[in-house]
Amino acid sequence: MINKLKNNLLRDVSIAPLVVFRIAFGALMFLSTLRFIMKGWVYDMYIKPEHFFPFYGFEWLSPLSSNGMYAVFCLMLISALFIMTGLFYRISTTLFFLLFTYVELIDKTNYLNHYYFISLVSFLIIFLPAAKAYSLDNLFFKRSSLKSVSNYWIWTIKFQVLIVYFFAGVAKLNYDWLFEAQPLRIWLPAQNHLPVVGGLMDELWVAYFFSWFGCVYDLFIPFLLVRRKTIFIAYFFVIVFHLATRALFNIGMFPYIMIALTVIFFPEEFHKKLLSFLPDLNTHTSTKQYSNSIFKRRIFFYVMGLFFFFQLLMPFRYIAYPGKLFWTEQGFRFSWRVMLMEKAGTSFFYVEDKTSGKKIEISNCDYLTPMQEKMMCTQPDMMLQYARIIKNDFEKKGMENFAVKADAFVTLNGGGSRRFVDSSIDLSSLKDDFKNKTWILPY
Amino acid sequence: MKNKRLLIISAVSFSLIFTACKKNKDKEEEQKDDFNKTELLTNMADNIIIPSYISYKSSVDSLELATTTFISNKNNANLLSLRAKFQNVYLSFEVVSAFEFGPAESEVFRSGANTFPCDTPQINSNINTEVYDLNMASNFDAKGYPALDYLLYGKGKTDQQILDHFTIDSNAVKRSGYLIALVAELKTKATSIVNQWNSSYRTTFISSNGSDIGSSVGLLVNQLNQDLEITKNYRVGIPLGKKTLGVVLPEKCEAYYSKASLVLLKKHVESLEKIYLGNSGKGFDDYLDFLNAQYNGASLNATITNQFTVVKEKINLIPETLDNSVVNNQAPVDVAYTELQRLVVLLKADMPSALGIVITYQDTDGD
Repeated sequence: MINKLKNNLLRDVSIAPLVVFRIAFGALMFLSTLRFIMKGWVYDMYIKPEHFFPFYGFEWLSPLSSNGMYAVFCLMLISALFIMTGLFYRISTTLFFLLFTYVELIDKTNYLNHYYFISLVSFLIIFLPAAKAYSLDNLFFKRSSLKSVSNYWIWTIKFQVLIVYFFAGVAKLNYDWLFEAQPLRIWLPAQNHLPVVGGLMDELWVAYFFSWFGCVYDLFIPFLLVRRKTIFIAYFFVIVFHLATRALFNIGMFPYIMIALTVIFFPEEFHKKLLSFLPDLNTHTSTKQYSNSIFKRRIFFYVMGLFFFFQLLMPFRYIAYPGKLFWTEQGFRFSWRVMLMEKAGTSFFYVEDKTSGKKIEISNCDYLTPMQEKMMCTQPDMMLQYARIIKNDFEKKGMENFAVKADAFVTLNGGGSRRFVDSSIDLSSLKDDFKNKTWILPY
Repeated sequence: MKNKRLLIISAVSFSLIFTACKKNKDKEEEQKDDFNKTELLTNMADNIIIPSYISYKSSVDSLELATTTFISNKNNANLLSLRAKFQNVYLSFEVVSAFEFGPAESEVFRSGANTFPCDTPQINSNINTEVYDLNMASNFDAKGYPALDYLLYGKGKTDQQILDHFTIDSNAVKRSGYLIALVAELKTKATSIVNQWNSSYRTTFISSNGSDIGSSVGLLVNQLNQDLEITKNYRVGIPLGKKTLGVVLPEKCEAYYSKASLVLLKKHVESLEKIYLGNSGKGFDDYLDFLNAQYNGASLNATITNQFTVVKEKINLIPETLDNSVVNNQAPVDVAYTELQRLVVLLKADMPSALGIVITYQDTDGD
C-alpha cells in the first residue's frame, strides 16, 4: 500500500498540469491585485487607518508610507505577471509570497481564509518546477523545456486544495450549521430581492438544503476530484457551488480562484490540449527528466511534510480551549472556517482614572476605521490590541494611573446581543498570548 | 458514460429546482405574509423621507422670509418672529438628519447644518473680516443652526442687546450680512436635496433593494446608527462629561443659547423611531418580525420598540433645561444616556446582524 503510494508519487507525469496551474495562478493573482488597487482598498486598508492590528508575533510589522504601499502592490502585480509568464520564476514567486504575506500580516481586520490560502499556495509554488516549460525563463536563458516531472510535485498542489475543501467541510459539522441552518437562514433572506430565485431565499428549507449541501460538498468533493472517473462530475459541482456562493455572497475573487485552480485535478491530456494553444517558447526539447538530487528531494519532503503537518494541526488547536469556539474565537483563524457564523458586536471602551474611578468614554471612530471597529468588536485578541492603542494614546497625552475597560456586547447567529467580556478587567494590562482568555464571559 | 452521469445530475438538479419553485408557489397560495424590501423602501421614500424634506424645505423658506423681514425692519417683533421660525426649522432638521446618503451626503448636509457646539470666536472673526468660505472645514462649526442659535440668542443677552447687535453695534451691518449668508446656504442645500429626491434619486433609492454595501437598506440602517450615536455622544454624552472624566460641559449642548436642547433631543429620537417603524407603513419592525428575529428568547422587534419607548420616557424625565440638568441634576440625564447606549447596541449589532446586511461604509470582500 505504502509502496504503491510511493511509486505513484515518484512516477513521471507530464509537466502540463503544473504549467497550466502556474499560468492560471499568476493571471488570477494579477487580476485580484489589480482589482484590489482599483477598488481603492490599498488606501482604505493600509494608508487611511491610523492604527493596525498585526498578528501575534508580527507586531513589529507596520505598513509603509502611502507610496511604499502602492509600490508593494505594484511589485505584486509585476511578480504575478512574471509568475504567469514564467520569468525569473524562483525570484518572482518568492517575492510574491513575501509581499502578499507581509500585507496580510499587517492587520487582522482584513483576514480572510482565502488570503491565507493564497499565502500558502504562493509559498508552495516557490519549490515547484512550474516554469520549466512554456516559460520566458526557457526562452531568455535558452533552457530546454521539460516534458515530465515527478508526480509528487503536482500532488502538493492537489493536496493543498483538498485540505481547504475537507476542513471547510469538517468545520461545518456543528450543531448550528446542520440543525439550525445558521447562519444561512439569516443570510439567504437578505437576498430575497434577487431575480428568479429571490422568493426561494425566504424559505427555511432552502437554508437547510444549502447548509447540508455545502457540508456534504466540502467533505466529499476531495474524493470525487482525485478519481479520474469522477473528476468531471466533481468539477461540475465545483462550478455550481462556487458560482452559487458568488451570486449570493460578497466574496470577491475566491470562487473564480477555486474554479480555476481545481483544474489541476484534470487528466494530463486535458492540460496538454490547453497548452497546445500556446507557443512552447523553446525549439529544442530535452528528454531529460527534471532531476533533483536525492538530498534536495529529501529536503523538499521534509519541508512539505512540515508545511502540511502544520496545516493539518491548525484547525484542531481550538480543542485546547474551553468554551464555545464561535464565541471566544480562540483557535478560529487559519482553520478554513469559512462563512460559518453571523457575528456582530458593539463595544464601548472607557479610560478609567484609577484613583477617582471617573471615566472617559472613547469614540471608536477616533481611532479605528468602520471595518476595524466592526472586526475588533467581535474578536477578543483585537480588543486587547485596541486597549493598548488607547492606553498608548492617553499616556502620550500625559495621563497616568488609568485602566482601559470595555462594555462589549456581541450577538452570535442572530441569538441576541449579550455581554462579551468582563467589564471590570483592565484590558490594557493584559498581554495577548495563547493562554485561555478567562476574561471572555461564557456564552 | 460521463455524459450520461452529467445528464442524471442535471436532471436531479432541475427536478430539485422545479419542486422548489412548486413548493414556493404553494406557499404563495397560502398567502404567506411576504416581505419585500422594495415595499419598505417605497414607504420610506414616499411617506417619510420626501415629505420630511419638503416640510423641512418649507421651514427653511419661512426662515429665509423671516430673516429678510427682520433685516429690512430690525425690531423686536421681527426678531421674535425670526426666532420662532428658527425654532421651527431646527425641529424639522432633526427629522431629516438621519438621511445622510445620496443627495444629503453629496451636499454634506448634516455636518454642514448642525456641527455643535459652534465656534464663537470663528463666527465673530468671519463677521469682522467678511472674508470666509462657508464650504471650508474650518467653518463647519461657524455656520448652520448652531451659528444661528448663537447669533439670534447669544449668551446671557437680553432681546434688546441682540437687537442692538444687528442695529447699533459697530459690526451690525456685517453681522446682518453673515446672518443672510448662513440662511442662504441652508436654503441652497435644502432646495438641492429636495430637487434631487423629486427627480431621479427616488428611483435610484427604491431600486437599490439589495443588502450589500451601498444598498438603500444598508444606507438607512447605517445612517440610523450614525445619527443615533450623534445623539448619544454629542447631544447627551459630551455635555454630561462622558468624555471628560465626569467634568460636565453644559455649553456643549445642542442649541445651547436658545435652550431648546431637550425639545430637539426628543424630536430627534422620535424621528429615529419613526424611521425604524416606517411610520405606519412597512418598516424595520415588520422586516424583523417577518424574519422572526430573536433577542435572547424574546422578539428583537419587541425589544427594540420597547427600548425606544424607554429612551423617550427617560428623556422626558430630564427636567428643563438640559444644560442646567447636566450641572445640577445629573442622575436623570445619566439614566437616559444608559438607555440610549442600550438602544445603540440593539440597532448597531442586533438589527444589522438579523437583517444580514452590511452597514460599514467600507467595501470589502467577505469570507
